[in-house]
Amino acid sequence: MSGTSVNIWDLPVRICHWSFVILIPALWWTAEEGEMGWHMRLGIVLLGLAVFRVLWGFAGSSTARFASFVRGPATVLAYLRSMNSPRDPIVGHNPLGGWSVLALLGAMLLQTGLGLFSGDPYDGATGPLNHLVGVMTADSLTEWHESFFNVLLALVGIHLLAVLFYLAVKRDNLVHPMVTGRRAMPGEAGGMQPVPAWRFLLCLLAAALFALWLWIGAPPL
Amino acid sequence: MKLHSPLILSALALSLAACGGAPEEAADVSSAEASVIEQRQDNFEAIGDAFKAIRGQLEDGAPDFAAIAGDAETIHTNAGKIQDYFPEGTGIDSGADTEALATIWEDPEGFAGAAEDLIAASQTLVDAAGTEDLAAVQQAVDGLGGSCKACHDDFRLDKD
Repeated sequence: MSGTSVNIWDLPVRICHWSFVILIPALWWTAEEGEMGWHMRLGIVLLGLAVFRVLWGFAGSSTARFASFVRGPATVLAYLRSMNSPRDPIVGHNPLGGWSVLALLGAMLLQTGLGLFSGDPYDGATGPLNHLVGVMTADSLTEWHESFFNVLLALVGIHLLAVLFYLAVKRDNLVHPMVTGRRAMPGEAGGMQPVPAWRFLLCLLAAALFALWLWIGAPPL
Repeated sequence: MKLHSPLILSALALSLAACGGAPEEAADVSSAEASVIEQRQDNFEAIGDAFKAIRGQLEDGAPDFAAIAGDAETIHTNAGKIQDYFPEGTGIDSGADTEALATIWEDPEGFAGAAEDLIAASQTLVDAAGTEDLAAVQQAVDGLGGSCKACHDDFRLDKD
């Protein structure tokens, strides 16, 4: 594609994205192998990153913000109907992809949230908030934690199929920009609007403190 | 690069999907050994479920002592079978999918004692539940939990 190369994804968005790609298989593997110490450490990291991504969705650069990519059903339908007609690439998430971001982020938050309460103190590891619920509640949450992984996996599968569809059918490589942050845009189209670094540091600090607070069992503040 | 990343991602997704089923047995474990491991895990699973139900009753405020006695009986019965489920060659060194440490066979008296502790603790709980004395039941439950933990500490792989 001719045109100028512009920034479309900032570094925090890309780091979050590729961390999720590494952490989800790692969390599945550690659970499967019964490496619960590592499972919990990686899980709290994933939770912290997902919380950061939510904060960044309000304070981050233009393409990271929920307000810039969460669209109503009419816009999503119109986007789907116009799938076959040629159009300029979008700077940021397309109307359907925006919902994919929300679904994946929500599923990761729910899954890690369930994990916080999982386990049985008399039988191996317990999540850091296990002591806050009764033994039978923890038992149910543990079962949901195990089965909800399949929902997360299905959402990841749909996401990958969509990326493959754009690559094979639409001849649009979405992976490369998610690595480099840049893509070629026709004409004089502008890229994303970045925000100052202090916003990143503030969101990171808030997410890290929240994750740490959960990790130590959510003591009263 | 343009083609590789999505291919790797989809391969990853497929391998994740393929791995969703039950963990496969290690190749060098015979089916007889695998079967005894499965039986003993079911036996412990039933003990764990019964103990969970008992603790659930105690959190309830108005515990059903008959239900507690029944679950304690289950634990007592299953505790009596534990030692039969640990023939030589079914430990973690066999490559099987188990957390049974070699100390079970290196210290057979210690392991037998730990199993006896659970048998005694579950009997204490059966008796306490019969008296319907909440304080005695709570104490017996703590004792039973302690015998679970003590045995896990010495004879079960800890990966936390």
